[in-house]
Amino acid sequence: MTPKTMKTILAGALPAVFLMLATGPASAIDFYLRAEAITKLMPDPAGGPDIPIAMWAFARDDLFQGLELEAASIPGPRLVVPPGDTTLNIHVDNNLAVPISIVMPGQVTALTPTMFTDATGRQRARAFTHETPAGNLTAVTYSWTGLRPGTYLYHSGSHPQIQVQMGLYGAMTHDAVVGQAYGGVAYDTETLLLYSEIDPAIHAAVAGGTYVPFGDPATQMTSTVGYEPKYFLINGEPFRPGITTDIPVGSVGTTILLRFLNAGQQSKAPLLLGQYMHVVSENGSLYPFSKERYVLFLPAGNTRDALMTPAVGQDGRYPIFDRMLNLSNAGAPTPGGMLRHLVVTP
Amino acid sequence: MKGQCLTISRGCTVAVMLAAVSWATNAAAAITGITGSSFSLTAKAGHIAGGDGVSLLTWGYSDGAGTMQYPGPTMIVNQGTIVTIDFRNELPVASSIIFPGQVGVTATAILGTGVPGMLTLEAPASSAATTTIRYTFTADHAGTFQYQSGTRPDLQVDMGLIGVLIVRPSGFPLDQWAYNHVDSVYDREYLFLYSEMDYTFHFRTELGLPVDTTTSWPVYWFINGRSLPNTVDPDNVPWLPTQPYGALVRMHPGENMLMRSVNARGNVHPQHPHGNNHRVLARDGRLLESTAGAGADLAETIFTANYTPGQTEDAIFYWTGYKLGFDIYGHAPGDPLEPFEYAPDHGKPLPVFLPSQLEITYGGGYSGSPFLGSMGDLPPGNGGLNFFGGMMYPWHSHHEKEVVNNDIFPGGAFTLLIIESWGTPIP
Repeated sequence: MTPKTMKTILAGALPAVFLMLATGPASAIDFYLRAEAITKLMPDPAGGPDIPIAMWAFARDDLFQGLELEAASIPGPRLVVPPGDTTLNIHVDNNLAVPISIVMPGQVTALTPTMFTDATGRQRARAFTHETPAGNLTAVTYSWTGLRPGTYLYHSGSHPQIQVQMGLYGAMTHDAVVGQAYGGVAYDTETLLLYSEIDPAIHAAVAGGTYVPFGDPATQMTSTVGYEPKYFLINGEPFRPGITTDIPVGSVGTTILLRFLNAGQQSKAPLLLGQYMHVVSENGSLYPFSKERYVLFLPAGNTRDALMTPAVGQDGRYPIFDRMLNLSNAGAPTPGGMLRHLVVTP
Repeated sequence: MKGQCLTISRGCTVAVMLAAVSWATNAAAAITGITGSSFSLTAKAGHIAGGDGVSLLTWGYSDGAGTMQYPGPTMIVNQGTIVTIDFRNELPVASSIIFPGQVGVTATAILGTGVPGMLTLEAPASSAATTTIRYTFTADHAGTFQYQSGTRPDLQVDMGLIGVLIVRPSGFPLDQWAYNHVDSVYDREYLFLYSEMDYTFHFRTELGLPVDTTTSWPVYWFINGRSLPNTVDPDNVPWLPTQPYGALVRMHPGENMLMRSVNARGNVHPQHPHGNNHRVLARDGRLLESTAGAGADLAETIFTANYTPGQTEDAIFYWTGYKLGFDIYGHAPGDPLEPFEYAPDHGKPLPVFLPSQLEITYGGGYSGSPFLGSMGDLPPGNGGLNFFGGMMYPWHSHHEKEVVNNDIFPGGAFTLLIIESWGTPIP
């Protein structure tokens, strides 16, 4: 079951949709995200039926507890903030059984960490900012002003080693000017590539109630130290031979923007075979000079923006694969993992 | 070849007359490889030796019908050449070659039938007698590039199907440049191809058992296909028939030494070349330049290089003993200057009193003298690995766990730089 895709291939279409939904002052945009428990199907390495993985995912509503606009998905709904909006408000409805929150590395806001007192009487942080309690009846809001242009990850700031792994992450993009990702960085078409991982053992422990910090190591998972992901996703799906479709990214003679994000816990190295990329930014910060590379270093939690400018005659199908070689679906001997084919039309 | 002692002041000084062996640049100081425009590579199985003596089944590329080698042959071509590589496959699985950084690579079966794979056209299993895949591209950019298997790379790259492609700029060898700009001039070049292996992949493959590549946990690390202590052996030693390339680095003070570095495996390696910073000129076969033709005006000097998997990097390393604070040759103030010697330190004494020999334990790399090009007395059984009185620096991965051979130190991705005096010939 493929999640609702947010891959924008024509700049301008989605921002117009979001402008219509904006409430409040013209320079602000509001999104209503709802956290749900879902099941996601991953390929069985032995070739049997797909394996259900318990996950937590964001959905998007039109209002707090209003009508669903986008079903819960991995990654979560892409938040496209139009160039004119410099204030972003995310209102959260939490249908999980644990408190969550939202942080957005690279965007500046005041954080109010949620603290608790541990068994030895010490003040410890449980979340990077204020929380949305389980089953909240009124919206809890997270706001950013003076929004910077670029490509950013949003994710839970509560117990992140569990909650982000469980699926509470998504992308936020904000162009400086219509058709320019940053001032002076114009593009014709864009594609978002969000990398993430699944360690099924953690999901099973969380869903089964056997993830217990300070629990009994013999029967419970007491930490994520033994993290060993088995599924490697781009935009929420591993590569499945014969099933995964090519990604049309644009045509020759144009400027194609590739937005890379890594919501996983391990670094990745997307390698574009047959073309070079011009990497223009990292984590929303524009480089003074772009970097001409065929392989990109994408650490955990990072974003990169890169431009492809295929010349006339360079139409074709370009593989992009993780050169850290996360290319298997849980050990299956067939191609899988972080592989896609980008199609450039003549 | 040892020099004659001229003076006996602070030990023996190697005769400067040996410096008649030219210190002008040259072509002898080049990376070992195969040249031309048409190549034949065959994927085949063999065994390599880890630095602890383990024997690992390896899949590597051979030059034509030759012995399997790890890494594959370093192909050296001239810019603008139309390169054709005829690939045959003797492995029990389908395989292929991809060329990151090359644009417009075509792949066709010139004999038999290829199989379209995820990344390129593949040769079926055990098809060397019936199938040849020809990969063709124009090497239109100078630089350092890698090649590797394009079939199940998560397994086949670990198994050893990696290699390097070097493209010489137009005008080479008249100008010993790495790119088409004087910023990339060099006197000698060395290759550093970093890789690693999870030995369970190799043992299981040898036994015909399936491999789950998501469990990858390498414990052997290599530079140019060898682990310490073999990294410091010369090229083509008979006891490493499937690992032809060494990684010992030797240079004279003042030379521009071009480091061509390639990360061929799947993890980041923070390489730490002691002795000086190095100036990175290019990555992924492209000069770090602000605009075309500007040269390496965006070059950066660093002391630890984090190579992204798949990435290549070209850098210049330079050493003169600048501001070490003592005369590295042990000169008296009236002695003539050596080439590239830092004149303000000329004649300055060693700033410490060396303890007596009976109070020190010597490693094999100590020549008996702290001065460059000098030898000295050593107690019996000490030293012996420093034939010319050079100054040795470790060049190693700074992921300290990678300087071992399956948990035995020293080993892994560790080699040596030896700064040799100008009297010492370096092949």
